[in-house]
Amino acid sequence: MKVLIVNNMAPFVWGGAEELAANLERNLILAGHQAEILRVPFQWEPAEAIPTQMLMMRAFELWNVDRVIALKFPAYLIRHPHKTLWLVHQYRQAYDLFDAGQTNLPPGEQGEALRSMIREADQQAFAEMRSIYTISDVTKARLARYNGREANVLVPPVNDPERFIGGESQGYVLAAGRVNAMKRQHLLVEAMRYTSPKTKLLVAGPPDSAADADALQRLVDQHDLGDRVKLDLRFLSRDEYAAYVNGAQAVAYVPYDEDALAYVTMEASQAGKALISACDSGGVLGLARHGETGWVAMPHPEALAGVLDQAFADSRRTQAYGDGARERLHAMDINWPSTVGMLLQ
Amino acid sequence: MRIALCSTFVPFIYGGARNIVEWLQVMLERQGHTVERVYLPEVDAPDLLFQQMAALRWIDLSAADRVICFRPQAHLIRHPHKILWFIHHIRSFYDLWDTPYRGFPDNAKYRGVRDALRAADNAALAEAKQVFTNSRVVSERLKKYNGVDSEILYPPVFDSERFECRSFNDEVVYICRMEHHKRQHLLIEAMSHVKTAVRIRLCGRSGDVSYADHLRALIQKHRLDDKVTIEDRWISEEEKVELLADCLAAAYLPLDEDSYGYPSLEASHASKPILTTLDSGGVMELVSDGDNGYVADPDPRSVADALDKFYMQRDETRRMGVRAAARLDELKISWTHVLERLLA
Amino acid sequence: MNIVIFAPGLKASAIGRMTGLLVRELSAQGHTVVLIRSEEKVLLSAVPQSFSVEVIDWLQTSAVDAACAQADAIVHQIGDNYHYHYGSLEWLSKYPSVVCLHDFYLGNLFFQWAQTHMAEAEQALLHWYGAGSNKKFFEYSHRQDFIELTCAAMPMTEWLCAMASAVITHSSWGIKRVLDSCAGPVRAVPLAYEVPAWDGESAVSNAEAHADGEPFNILTIGNVNANKRAASVIRALAQSEKLRRSAVFRLVGQCDTLKALELSALARNLGVNLVISGPVDDDVLAVIVRGADVVSCLRWPSLEAASASAIEAMLHCKPVVVTNVGFYREIPSDHVVHIDPDNEIDSLCKALEWLHAEPEARLALGRRAQAWASQQFTAAGYCRALLGVVDDMHMAAPILHSMRFFAQALSDWKTDTRWLGTSLALDPIRSLLGTTA
Repeated sequence: MKVLIVNNMAPFVWGGAEELAANLERNLILAGHQAEILRVPFQWEPAEAIPTQMLMMRAFELWNVDRVIALKFPAYLIRHPHKTLWLVHQYRQAYDLFDAGQTNLPPGEQGEALRSMIREADQQAFAEMRSIYTISDVTKARLARYNGREANVLVPPVNDPERFIGGESQGYVLAAGRVNAMKRQHLLVEAMRYTSPKTKLLVAGPPDSAADADALQRLVDQHDLGDRVKLDLRFLSRDEYAAYVNGAQAVAYVPYDEDALAYVTMEASQAGKALISACDSGGVLGLARHGETGWVAMPHPEALAGVLDQAFADSRRTQAYGDGARERLHAMDINWPSTVGMLLQ
Repeated sequence: MRIALCSTFVPFIYGGARNIVEWLQVMLERQGHTVERVYLPEVDAPDLLFQQMAALRWIDLSAADRVICFRPQAHLIRHPHKILWFIHHIRSFYDLWDTPYRGFPDNAKYRGVRDALRAADNAALAEAKQVFTNSRVVSERLKKYNGVDSEILYPPVFDSERFECRSFNDEVVYICRMEHHKRQHLLIEAMSHVKTAVRIRLCGRSGDVSYADHLRALIQKHRLDDKVTIEDRWISEEEKVELLADCLAAAYLPLDEDSYGYPSLEASHASKPILTTLDSGGVMELVSDGDNGYVADPDPRSVADALDKFYMQRDETRRMGVRAAARLDELKISWTHVLERLLA
Repeated sequence: MNIVIFAPGLKASAIGRMTGLLVRELSAQGHTVVLIRSEEKVLLSAVPQSFSVEVIDWLQTSAVDAACAQADAIVHQIGDNYHYHYGSLEWLSKYPSVVCLHDFYLGNLFFQWAQTHMAEAEQALLHWYGAGSNKKFFEYSHRQDFIELTCAAMPMTEWLCAMASAVITHSSWGIKRVLDSCAGPVRAVPLAYEVPAWDGESAVSNAEAHADGEPFNILTIGNVNANKRAASVIRALAQSEKLRRSAVFRLVGQCDTLKALELSALARNLGVNLVISGPVDDDVLAVIVRGADVVSCLRWPSLEAASASAIEAMLHCKPVVVTNVGFYREIPSDHVVHIDPDNEIDSLCKALEWLHAEPEARLALGRRAQAWASQQFTAAGYCRALLGVVDDMHMAAPILHSMRFFAQALSDWKTDTRWLGTSLALDPIRSLLGTTA
C-alpha cells in the first residue's frame, strides 16, 4: 500500500513530531508498504495568517496515495478519501491553552472568529477520518472534552528497543531528555543539596538554549555539587544515550504536565530501570507508578531528594521496580508492528 | 545560510526532479549550510491548478535566508530572495499546446487557463532574484514564452568520482528506464544491420510491461539473442559504475528530451563516448558527432553504422571517451560551479 | 467562436434592436450566434424581429442547455425591465456569463423578481445594503417616488452584477457598484447604434430656413416622465422673449393624461408653444427628428448606462442639449451642450437662445456630434470589445474558480467568506492575476 504521512514543518526545526513521522515511515516500509512523508510549512505567527495555511492544506491534491496518516493541525485538514488521524496535537492555543490564557490568537471578535474557524475545521476534518488515534491519554482527553470525539490511544513505540537491554548499575540516577525549564532538571539538581552523599545524579541531553545549560551549571557551582552531579549537556548519539540509560541506577524524568508517556520513561522501562517522576508530570505517570515501577514525588527539591536517596537505599527493591516498569511497558503492547497494523486497519 | 529547496512532487513517483533537489541538498550541507527540503504535492489538472497555485502563494518560508525553486509551480512561492532553478514549464500550456499531448480541447475556456497561467508565471518569474535553467531548450522556452533571460546551470550527477574507465569491451550499454520515448527499440532494430561483432546491453526498469515485452519480441523477431542482453530491473549505482567502467560506449536515444540526461553524463564521467540521434533534443547540447560520440540519424541503419564504428575504430573510440570527460569541464558541469552560481 | 446571446426578441425592445445589430456584426465576422429570447412567457408569442440566426425561447430548456454547453461565450443583454429579461434571470446563474448592462438602476427588475423570490431578495438587500434595507426597499416600492428613493442607495446593480462573470456597460458613471460586485472583468463600451441612412443634408436646409422666421423646433423623445425635464424646458423658453415667440416644443412618446394636462397648463400660462404628439411609429419619428432644430435630452435623475435618444439625435446631425450628469457628462463638451443641473433653467435658456441665434453654430455642432457618434457607437467596436471581455473572462475564470473553492471551504467552516478579501489572504495571490510578457 502507498501510505503518505502528512505532517507540519516549522522550517529548519526538527522535533519530536518529525522524529515520530520518520520512524513511522521507516516502520511502514519495514512492514512492506511504500511510505513517504509530506511536510507542509506552518507558521502560527501571526495568528491572522493561520486561515490561509488552513486553506492551503485543503487546496493540495493527493494523487497516487492509498492511505493518509495525519499527525497535526493543520496537516490533518488535507483532503483524501482514506485518512487516519494519529493525533500529536491540535492547535492548542485554540483549546486548552486558550482556556489557560496562553494563546496567540488576538483578543476580541477577531480572535473569536479565528478560534471558531479552527474548531469548525477540526470538527469537519475529524468527521472525515476513517479512524482517530491519539499519541497519549492527555490528547485523547482533550479531544473528548473539546471536540466530543472518542479516540484510542496509540502510544508511539520506542524506535530502537534493542538498544535498551539494561545492565549493571554504575551508581547514578540519570535525568535525560531535552534540557529546559519545562522539563525541570533544575529541581533534581537542587534536590541534590538535600540527598545523602552517596546519591549521584547525571543530567544528560541537549539544552534548548545556552541559557538553559548555564542555569544548571550555576546551580551546581552555587551549591558546590560538582562531585555528585555530572552535567553532560549536548546532543547525544543513540549509542551514548543508551549506554547512560543501561548503566543507571534509576531514571528520573520530572517534566511539568507532559502530554505523553515520553520516550525517556519508555526507554528506561525497556531497559528495566526504576522510574522517578513528579506527581504533576502528566502522561509520564502512565508508566511511573509509585511503589510499583518507581517513585512519584511532589515537585519540590526536598521531596525529590527523598526519593533519589531511596533509589540507592535498597538496590533489590530498585531493581524490582525496574522489572515492574519493563513489565508494565510490555503489557501495554507498545511496539511498531502492532502500531502500524492499527493505523492501517 | 538557511536555504529552503522547494519543489513539487507526486507522492511515490521518483524522477529526475527529485535527484537534482536531493543531491543539491547534500552538496549544500557538505558546505555547512542548513537546508530544509520542501516538497509539496501538485497535480497539473487544469481545473485544479489555480487553487494549488494559491496554496503555494500562501506558504510562509520567511525563516529561510533564501529559497531555491525547482519543479513547477514551486516558482510561485514567495520569498524576498528567491532563486529559480527552472527545470520545465507545465508543458501542456506551453510548448505542447499545439501537439497531441495537450490533453484538453483548444477552446476559449482552456485558452483562458493557458493565458492566466502564463500571466501568473510571468509575475512569479519577475519576482526571482535570478533564474537558472537545466538546459538550453528550457532557457529558450523561457525567452520565447515569458520573455525572461536565464542562465543555464547544467545539473551534475552525484559523486561523479565514482565513475572510472577500466577497459573497452565489445558492448554498448544503454542504462536507462525502458520507455517508448527512450527508444530502446531503435537500438535493437539497429542490431539487425550491424556488420561487426558489437553487442548491446539494455538495463533499467521498464515503466510499462508491454514495452519490455515488445523489446523481447523484437529480439526474437530479428534473432538477436546472442547479440542483445536485456536486464529489465532496477540497476544499482554500483552496478552502473561497473558497467560503464568496462563498456565500449554508451547509448542514449531519447526522442526530443529537454536536457542531456543523466545516462550521457554518467558515461562522460566514465570517459566513454556517447551514441545519440539528431532528434534527441537536449543530448545534442552535450554530444557532437565525431568529437565525444556519434550523432546518428534516427533510423536503424545509421545507428548500426555508429555501433560498428565504435567497434572497428577502437583508438577513435578511446579518444572520444577522453573528449567526453573533457566536454563536462567545457560546459562547467560540476557541483562546484552549481554552488558558486546558486549562492552568488 | 460559438456565442449564445440572451435578449428580448420583441421589436418593441430597444435592447432587442441593439442586439440585432450585434448578431449581424458577429455573424458577418464568422462567429456562430444563437439567440435566446428572454422575454416572459406571454410575450414570446409575439413575432420577433428577424435575427437571421437560430432563435430559441428561454423556456426550451434542453435546447438552451445544449447551446450553452457548446458556447465559448454566453451573453445576457439586460436592462431594468422584468418582462423583457425574465428568462435571463432564470438562466444567468446557471452558466458563467457576460452581462451587458443597459441600466445602472435595476430597482424595477429586482422588485418584480422579488415577488417570487422573497427570501433570496431579502438576502441580497441585506448583503449589499446592510441591516434594515430589506424592509426599507419594499416600503418604498409602494410609493410614487420609488425610483428617486432607491436610485442612490439601493439601485440593485450589485445584485445583478454579482451573478455575472464579466460585465460590459455603456458608460463609466455608475461603474463603481459594478466593480464592487462582479468578480470578473468589467469594461465600459459605447453602446452599439445603427447609423441612420439619412445623411443630415436636410439639417443644412433646416438651419438655413430659420433665417426668415420659421418656427424653432425643440424636440424631446420618449416616455414623458418627470426625469425628462419637460417642465424645465417650458420654463426656460418662457424666460426668453425671442424663444417664446419663435420656439415650438414637441414631446413625442407615451404621456399619461394627467401629465399632459399639467404640462399644457404650464405652457399656456407661460405663453410657450407646446405640442404633445404621443407615441408615433418609426417612420413618423424619423420625419419629426429631421424637422427638429434642437433635441433636448435632459435627465434628472439620470439612471441609464447610455441614452438611445441622445445617440439617435447626434447620428441625425442634431444639436443636443443634455444635463451635465451620468452618461451625458461623458459626451465631449464640443459635441453637445451641457446644462448645469443646479442652474438648469437659466443655463438651458442661455443655450437655447444661442442655438436659436446662430444657425451656423447649430449646424456645426450637429455635424461634429454626428461625426463623433458614428465612430463611437458602432456594432463593430462593440463586438470587438465584447470578444475582448470574453477572453478576459476566460482568463479570470480559473482564478475565480479557485476563489469559489476557498469560499466553499470557509463556509464549511462556518466562516465569513469575505475573509478571502482581507489583505492577508489576497495580497499573496494578487500576482496570480499576472502580468503579460
